[in-house]
Amino acid sequence: MDVRRAVEAVWRLEAAKVVGALTRLVRDVGLAEELAHDTLVAALEQWPESGISDNPGAWLTAVAKRRAVDHLRRAERLARKQEELAREPESAPAEAPDDVLRLMFLSCHPVLPTRERVALTLRLVGGLTVEEIARAFLVDPPVIARRVAAAKRALAGVGFDLPADPAERLSSVLEVVYLVFNEGYSATSGDDLLRPGLCLEALRLGRLLADLVPDAAEAHGLVALMEIQASRSAARTGPSGEPVQLHEQNRGRWDPLLIRRGFTALLRAREIGGPPGPYVLQAAIAVCHARASRAEDTDWAQIAALYEALARQVPTPVVRLNQAVAVGMAHGPAAGLALVDTLADDPALREYHLLPGVRGDLLVRLGRTVDARREFERAAGLTVNAAERAFLLRRADDLAADETAGPTLGATADAFLARDDLGPDTLRSYGQTLRRLRLTVGERVPLSAMTAAEVHRAFRSAWGTASPKTWNRHRSALRMFALWADAAHLADDLPRLAETGAPTESIPDDRLAALFDRDLPVRERVLWLLLRESAAPVRAVLSLDIEDLDLDDRRARTGSGWIAWRAGTARLLPALLGARTRGPVFVTERRSTNARDRCPDTGHTRLSYERAEYLFKQSTKALHPNGYTLRQLRPRET
Amino acid sequence: MRYLMTSLATGAETPPDERLFTEMGKFIEEMTATGVLLATGGLAPTGLRLTSTGDEITVTDGPFTEAKEVVAGFALIEVRSEEEALELARRFRRIVGDGVSVVQQVFGP
Repeated sequence: MDVRRAVEAVWRLEAAKVVGALTRLVRDVGLAEELAHDTLVAALEQWPESGISDNPGAWLTAVAKRRAVDHLRRAERLARKQEELAREPESAPAEAPDDVLRLMFLSCHPVLPTRERVALTLRLVGGLTVEEIARAFLVDPPVIARRVAAAKRALAGVGFDLPADPAERLSSVLEVVYLVFNEGYSATSGDDLLRPGLCLEALRLGRLLADLVPDAAEAHGLVALMEIQASRSAARTGPSGEPVQLHEQNRGRWDPLLIRRGFTALLRAREIGGPPGPYVLQAAIAVCHARASRAEDTDWAQIAALYEALARQVPTPVVRLNQAVAVGMAHGPAAGLALVDTLADDPALREYHLLPGVRGDLLVRLGRTVDARREFERAAGLTVNAAERAFLLRRADDLAADETAGPTLGATADAFLARDDLGPDTLRSYGQTLRRLRLTVGERVPLSAMTAAEVHRAFRSAWGTASPKTWNRHRSALRMFALWADAAHLADDLPRLAETGAPTESIPDDRLAALFDRDLPVRERVLWLLLRESAAPVRAVLSLDIEDLDLDDRRARTGSGWIAWRAGTARLLPALLGARTRGPVFVTERRSTNARDRCPDTGHTRLSYERAEYLFKQSTKALHPNGYTLRQLRPRET
Repeated sequence: MRYLMTSLATGAETPPDERLFTEMGKFIEEMTATGVLLATGGLAPTGLRLTSTGDEITVTDGPFTEAKEVVAGFALIEVRSEEEALELARRFRRIVGDGVSVVQQVFGP
């Protein structure tokens, strides 16, 4: 057997403990990881010669600790500190019971973006290499390396103590573990439906965590949920990799061992007591399914009730969609459909293939096969998973198509774009519009079945936040198409929007969220939030003086009226103002001689429009190649 | 992947001592905590042997003559690789002392 692989296997078993202990000693997770890596390299050099140590775990911890002590000594000599300090780390224990838990809390720290938490947790706690993580997530290794490095940088100043608010921090750890599991269980992209490696890592992380925080019901709930979901792995894909839905799975292929472990974990969660949290509720739902030895024995009323409780705590569209499925099973397809239809306009579900998928199921049960077929086709257009798409298209094909309905949207659009009297630019532009429409409405929908309202919905979801100019371009493309296809009525609900000359299209909310997600100086944060929340002119805001502010009523007097803001600005304003009580609200460090634009106490100058605009443009280049102007912070007129 | 680790009876009649119990307890606890150990148990030295030939099935009472071939205990583990299974089996053998264990991959649930 390959010694290197043997050493790496040992390493993976011990990595969390070693890195945890090192982080406790050197109090810097980035340095700890480097020292840990050195330790692994030492093992890889020595063990092939000398044979694997009898007690490899202890060997690794001891070597790692020695390296940490050496490092601290060197750092100390550099800092010329007192000698006693040098003895401290030596007397520190090589292992402490909380090391691994602390390490989990640290690598799932809320200062990190979720993707970095995931990468760092797998790297440090799971002991996976960057290449292995990259392979599991189907990205290039440098992407993961960058995430790990960014996470380590961000954690440089963060302590290794157990958090003061463990409950809240625990939920961040649970989230990361479940995310890893889901990435493995229902791969969001790629052709394989299951990536068992990630499921296994998540299960191990979860079991480890539940053991470290035995009194946290949600940790046991998560373990229960994962064990039971994992118990279905073998049954949830068919011979050619296609997904098999829960009610059609061969329950004899469910893994009874994992089901039993799931039951046990849920029992432990229940014994701890307290109101059930989201993971316990989801586990309880999974247990309901696992208890039914045949699909028709499923206690749907109980599941619908559990979903209702879950939707109260986690009212996400996806949970409510699942609730609709359960209600459809417990109280009939019409009741389920009514619930699904309340979700149809939720922007979060706009491109979620399960929404039309679920609608399709319910419609089939209501006997509305033509409508159901459309929904399955729409779902197929939205999913990125090849196996799932094939499955949805097959479901659509199983349903009778409406033969009398005439040509489909897809075929008509293809014919339209194949015309030879259009220039290449026009074709490209029309193609964009139609591609989007085909995706949202469905490729194989008969043109005769489409309505103006449907087209309007598709337009609103695709270009509702774009500039009037963009909207109008797509609108005229659609009008040309509709005229050509003898269906001019399809454009009836699309108004032409007035185009203003200046490029003042508002920055979309999601981009803005990405901007505010970053580390920003408080001045910029307040200025930008205030502009967004108040919709006031930039010059008016920059010329505000502290004396003008009415913090209690969240408004300020200007020459021409009032500027009002909301909670975001209100929360941050005190931090910006500090002890200042007069003078310009927004100042730069530069000093000025002009009395009106100067803080009378510090002499600092009012922030100029040009400077503010420049800074904003620079900061928003990551969002848009040209950057945005401050004026574009003003929210879109509604 | 899953591996079944079975330990064969040693034939020696020395009963396990206190130290072995403590160390084994600790080892099992750790394997459970890290999520590796799915199930484990010891097996009675006696059992029934079923042999089928054609339509005929014969049942024989144990104990069996080849004591060395009798499985005394098992552990079902879920690991990332064969190397990891082997490493855990090593740790187990180090605790129990002289004897034989067999590690086999388990296919399917």
